[in-house]
Amino acid sequence: MGGSALATGLSGCGDGNRTRTISFHQSKPEAIPYFRDLLQDFNNQHSGQIRAVHDSSSNLSAGFVRGNPPDLGCLNYNYEIVRFQERGAFSDLSDLLDEANIDPSVEDLVDEYPTYPGRTSVIPYSMMAAAVLYNEEIFAEHNLEVPTTFSAFIEVCETLEDAGVAPLYSTYGDPWTVAQGLVDYSVGGAMDVAGFFEQLHELGPDAGPEAEVSFSRDMREPLEKMLQIAAFSQAGAASRNYGDGNLAFARGEAAMYFQGPWALTDIAVTNPDAPIGVFPLPMTEDPDDLRVRVNLDLALWIPEDSPHQEQSRDLLRFLIDPEVADPYNEQNLAFGVRADAPDVSDNRLQDLQAYVDRAAFYQGVSVSIPRTIPFENYAQGLVTGQSLEATLRTLDEDWARLARR
Amino acid sequence: MTTTVEPTTPPRADGRPGSAPVHRPRRVDRTHFVFLIPVVALFTLCITLPAVMGIFFSFTDSIGFGEFSFVGLNNYIVMFSDPAILSAYGFTIGVALSTVVLVNVAALGLAIGLTGRIRAKTALRTVFVMPMVVSGIIIAFVFQFIFSNTVPAAARAIGIGALEESILADPSLAWISIVLVTAWQATPQAMLIYIAALMTVPQDVYEASAIDGASPWKQLRSITLPLISGFVLINVIIGFKDFLATYEIIVGLTDGGPGTATRSVAMAIFSGFEEGDYAYQMANSTIFFLITLAIALIQLRLTRGNARF
Amino acid sequence: MTLPTTPAPGGAANRATQRPTVGDGGRSRWGLTLLLVLCTLIVVLPFFVTISMALKSGDQAVEGEAFALPSPISFEGFALAWELTDFPRAFLVSIVITLATVVGTILLSAMASFAISRNWDKRMFRWSFFYLLAAMFLPFPVLALSQVRLTGLAGLDNPAGVILLHIMFQLSFSTLLFTAFLRSLPEELEESARMDGASTWSIFWKIVFPLMAPMSATVGIFAFLKSWNDFMMPSMIIADPSLQTLPVIQEIFQDEFSNNYHVSFASYLMAMAPAVIAYVIAQRWVMSGLTQGAVK
Repeated sequence: MGGSALATGLSGCGDGNRTRTISFHQSKPEAIPYFRDLLQDFNNQHSGQIRAVHDSSSNLSAGFVRGNPPDLGCLNYNYEIVRFQERGAFSDLSDLLDEANIDPSVEDLVDEYPTYPGRTSVIPYSMMAAAVLYNEEIFAEHNLEVPTTFSAFIEVCETLEDAGVAPLYSTYGDPWTVAQGLVDYSVGGAMDVAGFFEQLHELGPDAGPEAEVSFSRDMREPLEKMLQIAAFSQAGAASRNYGDGNLAFARGEAAMYFQGPWALTDIAVTNPDAPIGVFPLPMTEDPDDLRVRVNLDLALWIPEDSPHQEQSRDLLRFLIDPEVADPYNEQNLAFGVRADAPDVSDNRLQDLQAYVDRAAFYQGVSVSIPRTIPFENYAQGLVTGQSLEATLRTLDEDWARLARR
Repeated sequence: MTTTVEPTTPPRADGRPGSAPVHRPRRVDRTHFVFLIPVVALFTLCITLPAVMGIFFSFTDSIGFGEFSFVGLNNYIVMFSDPAILSAYGFTIGVALSTVVLVNVAALGLAIGLTGRIRAKTALRTVFVMPMVVSGIIIAFVFQFIFSNTVPAAARAIGIGALEESILADPSLAWISIVLVTAWQATPQAMLIYIAALMTVPQDVYEASAIDGASPWKQLRSITLPLISGFVLINVIIGFKDFLATYEIIVGLTDGGPGTATRSVAMAIFSGFEEGDYAYQMANSTIFFLITLAIALIQLRLTRGNARF
Repeated sequence: MTLPTTPAPGGAANRATQRPTVGDGGRSRWGLTLLLVLCTLIVVLPFFVTISMALKSGDQAVEGEAFALPSPISFEGFALAWELTDFPRAFLVSIVITLATVVGTILLSAMASFAISRNWDKRMFRWSFFYLLAAMFLPFPVLALSQVRLTGLAGLDNPAGVILLHIMFQLSFSTLLFTAFLRSLPEELEESARMDGASTWSIFWKIVFPLMAPMSATVGIFAFLKSWNDFMMPSMIIADPSLQTLPVIQEIFQDEFSNNYHVSFASYLMAMAPAVIAYVIAQRWVMSGLTQGAVK
């Protein structure tokens, strides 16, 4: 594995008959062993022609700047990737669309971001649906029903707190956990996130706290409710991190935990029999107005700069084959992205299937903002005492400033 | 290679530069060019060229690769109204100032102690220099654990309510942790400079003043400090420059948080890279360099009067 | 300046040890000693925490109590960290980068300093000195992004690039030390060798460079510390994660360590230990070198 970058560079100059080494970038820590095995299978099938190397930690931005990005990327699809897509750094994969057979509701999620005109820059691979994780045992002990309205949710929290149980375990030490959980669930459950950003993009440099669409105007109420919920967190949340959260929730130290299914793997390490259920966070008083947070957990792309277009496509085809893709999604508690993808089999997630089927989902506000605006840090600031008013104003001003550049 | 810099005067017949009183420019030995020019050339390629390149891109809208166009001073104009950048400067300069003070007080105190009449002098010195030998990022990870677990647990055990919540989690206190850890690591170097400085102070000066009945404090203020002022200056300049570029200790401790409370300028610059803000942060880098340089020059000028070089 | 061939504590340190006998009666002050010993606790604390956490079993470490001594003592963390971070490889990379930086820094800055100090009356050499010195005020972040591009273009996005840049960033300080030292070196030796017909090249390598040995040690120690402990530059410049240095490896795996504190601290300890042990063994020698760097 050593010197793979060097090997890539060298084989690029070689002639057609040699084994081409291609680098496969995939940094989702939970899935690294799984993909390592997959690549092994692929390499066995193509021995003598292609050798795929797993790269889980190289610096992506630096790779693009140097002109030696990975040959095939398989990453979370959000602004981290979109900034490359926007500038046309990915090659066109439209000829693979038929094979990929992506569900139209998933395709819509791709298009919520700025794309490169006339190109299919990414092929979605795996989708995650996230909502509130709760400890069924604790709920049963206190005769609690899964809440479907905001006031019922607050009542549940109050009952638990009165009984001396921490209603909710929060990990403010890791900004992303605040953003993806508390903030995204609260905002996504209360308003049309995609619609909001569409209008905001239209405003361009005219955006600001006083514009008719703005963070200050539209997000104040959901975020006020978010702070109300956050107040039910366990003591000392400010210095806990993601690892602490998984550990504590696995041990039953709190009744609820705002994390995605990726945490379940880690929780199972501590307590394989943790009695965990999932429900969407209710943010209104309408019990039918419930949505779950989704993200394109993995999407595939091939940089224009890759000298191994053909070989990378071979690997991409191998990965999207239903016989490879479906077991991956099942194993990693994810939802398939094909129109004919099978339902999730994990019984904890089956409750979310219905929401996914009728596209009652949203992409989080935290992944809808270009990363130059440190939104995750702002989210962390909110729950550790920064003023909501000032943070919303900063967001509006940052947005306008970004549009001016 | 040497032809372009060959002196215009004819070479001396004896070929022994510098051996006679020099009236006319003597000829420089070819070997000296061989020694110097490759170094200067490499330096130009590795340091000067990137600096010039950075300034160039600060006038564009490049995101680090692909096409770009010129935007004039736009990046600079936007930057000066960007509260994130301005507060990063405020934070960085504040932390650097506090650290310089803490480091120099601690280092001078330790240096005086370690040059005094004490037992186990070598062992003590060995221990106090140890922080210098470990990597900043690693020690920051260790302290991150100490601040978020050990200190609050100890505070609970003793019953100090104020410390039960980690200072890393408090936006108004987190900067203190950065000052403390930076100082922990930077004190040894300053301390060694002060130890060396104290050695240069002749012992009989103290003896004379002791006869006059001067207190240790007065000795420090009226004898020691004036005599070692040049070294204080060196410590302040070197330290301040290093602390302005603080990066890895923040990465390990707070990663800029909570919120954006501890984002330093260096972090902002690197974020430009990670988040596709290349040209904008190159403008920031350019300003950062000018500020660093200006501060160094001001320090040199202010203290030129009483510095000994 | 007399030139000890065997490295010994510098002249300054010798004077220090003699000092008590000069003073009034030479009695050690126990109060001051005790105070300093108390101060060492602040220095020692992180090392204690590291060792204590590293020697715990996974079950005990996850509680995060640093002052609970390891029971039972377990080396599980070391085994896991060794494997996870591929320690031997990272160690090798770090060692190669550091040693090459030390050698390169000493050679290049010694040569440049010699040329500069012997031609100080020439404008070109004088200006070169200040040119090299200017980098002392140039923080790495300012250059980092451009250097990433350039090293990529030049095929130096690997440890070789880091070595080159480490040497370049050490040039300023090292040249400053060497020129100061060379100015204090009498030129008579060189003159007489020259009269015997020796070339400048051989004068430098046979006479001057050996005489510079004490300062070379100092320059080398500083280069060693900077290079061995650096995080920013390798993390930006080296493209292939499997060629990363020890400090960067710690950061890469920090997320994967998660709450397995015994693994993370075992990993930190393995990354810190080589330099700390080397320092404690060569302590007198290193200290005199560092002090020498400090006075110049």
